[in-house]
Amino acid sequence: MNAAIHHIEYYLPTGTLTSEALTVEFPDWSVAKIEEKVGIKTRHVAADSECSSDLAVAAARKVFDSGAAKPSDIDFLLLCTQSPDYFLPTTACLVQDRLGLSKQCGALDFNLGCSGYVYGLGLAKGLIETGQASNVLLVTAETYTKFIHKSDRGVRTIFGDAAAATLLGVGIDDTARLGPFVYGTDGSGADNLIVRAGGMRLRQAPPESILDASLHMDGPEIFAFTMSQIPGCVRTLLTRTGMAIGDYDLFVFHQANRHMLEHLRKGLRIPEDKFYIAMEHCGNTVSATIPIALKHAQMEGRLWVGARVMLVGFGVGYSWGAVSIIWSGSLDKAVEVSQSMQISTQSSGPVMGAAPTREQVGIIDGGSLQ
Amino acid sequence: MDQANLLKSLDDLLELDPGTLTGSEELSALEAWNSLAVIGFMAIANEEFGVVVSPKKIAACTKVSDLVALLQAA
Repeated sequence: MNAAIHHIEYYLPTGTLTSEALTVEFPDWSVAKIEEKVGIKTRHVAADSECSSDLAVAAARKVFDSGAAKPSDIDFLLLCTQSPDYFLPTTACLVQDRLGLSKQCGALDFNLGCSGYVYGLGLAKGLIETGQASNVLLVTAETYTKFIHKSDRGVRTIFGDAAAATLLGVGIDDTARLGPFVYGTDGSGADNLIVRAGGMRLRQAPPESILDASLHMDGPEIFAFTMSQIPGCVRTLLTRTGMAIGDYDLFVFHQANRHMLEHLRKGLRIPEDKFYIAMEHCGNTVSATIPIALKHAQMEGRLWVGARVMLVGFGVGYSWGAVSIIWSGSLDKAVEVSQSMQISTQSSGPVMGAAPTREQVGIIDGGSLQ
Repeated sequence: MDQANLLKSLDDLLELDPGTLTGSEELSALEAWNSLAVIGFMAIANEEFGVVVSPKKIAACTKVSDLVALLQAA
C-alpha cells in the first residue's frame, strides 16, 4: 500500500498585522519596501487566549466539514509545533479530545519548524505503509507571534500564525505518491534562530537580557545556511528520483520570504511559472507554509492527478528536508473546476475520489488553467 | 566583476545614484547599510561569484572597500 495526500485545509486566526500598521510603528519603513523585500502584505496574529491547539482544531474541523473524513476515521494524529499550549501534556492529546477522535487513535507532537511539513509527510508515510495507521491527520500549528518582541520589526514583518491540517491515507492505486525524501540536520546553527528562555536550560530570562525570552533570528546567518544547504538538497533529491528540474510540474518551497525564495529559484534555474508562492496574505507561518501553498495551488488549478511536485522545507535547527510527490488531490476547488467541465467525481469514505487529471482541468502546458 | 562594477552593484543595493560609492566610505556612516543590505550583499556574492560569504566576515568589514576586497578574494 502507498500513502497519499487526500485533503488539505488551513486556518488563520482573525487578528491581523498589515504592512500599513507596521509602517505606523516603524515610520522609516514603507509599505512598498516591505512588500518588495518580503512579499507579505498581511500576517495573522493569534489572540492572547488563542493557542496552537485552537488553531489546530479549527484547521482539522475544516477537513471534517469538507466531508473528506469523519473524526472516527482518524487513527493517528501527528502534530508539529514549537509553540505548544503546555510543556506537557502533548498538544496532540488535547487536540484528539477536542476533535472527538477515537481513543484508539495514536497521537504525538513533534518539534520542528519550517522543515516540519516534509518530516510530517515522512512520518505519515511510515505509519501508513507499515500498516500502523490507515488515516493520518498531520497538523502543523504555530503561534510564533507569541515569541516575538514588539520592538523586533524584522521578525514581526515576516512571521504569522496559522495551522494546516492534511489528511493522508492509502492511495487509490499502487503508485508511490510520497517520496523519495531527503533529510538534513545541522545543529551548529541552533543559536541563529532560537528562543533562549522558557525551557529547562534557562527557565526565565534575567531582567538584563529580557530579549532572551523572545524569538531571535540572525537573518544573514539563516540566509547563508539556506544558500549553503538547500540547492544541494534539491540536487540530491533530483539524483534520487532520476528527474530533472524540467520534469516537475510545480515547486513548493517553504515560504520564508520573497527575497530568499527568488534567490533560490534563480540559483536552481526553476522557471518562475513553476515556482509557487502564496504568502502575501499570511506571511511565513513556519511549518504551515507548504500546505497553505499547496491548498492555494490546488484552488487555482495548478495541481492535478499525477502532477509531480517537489516540496522543500528548511529553517530552525538547522533542519531541512525535501520530498518528491505525485499529487493525488481531493474533491475541493480543483474538482469544482473539473465539475464545471462536466467531469463526474465521486467520493467514498475517508479515502477521497480522484482529483482531476491534467487533461481534465484543461492543462496543456506550464501548469496554467487554459 | 571588476571593482567599478562591484561598486555600482553596491550603489544599487544601497539605493544610491550610480557612481556614488568610491570605496573609502565607512559602512557605519551609510544609512542603508543594515541587515537587509547584508543579505542583499550576500545574494550578489552568491549570484556573481557562486560563493556563500560568511556573515561574520561581512561584520568584520568597516569600509566599502573591505566589502569589495571580500568579493574579489572569493
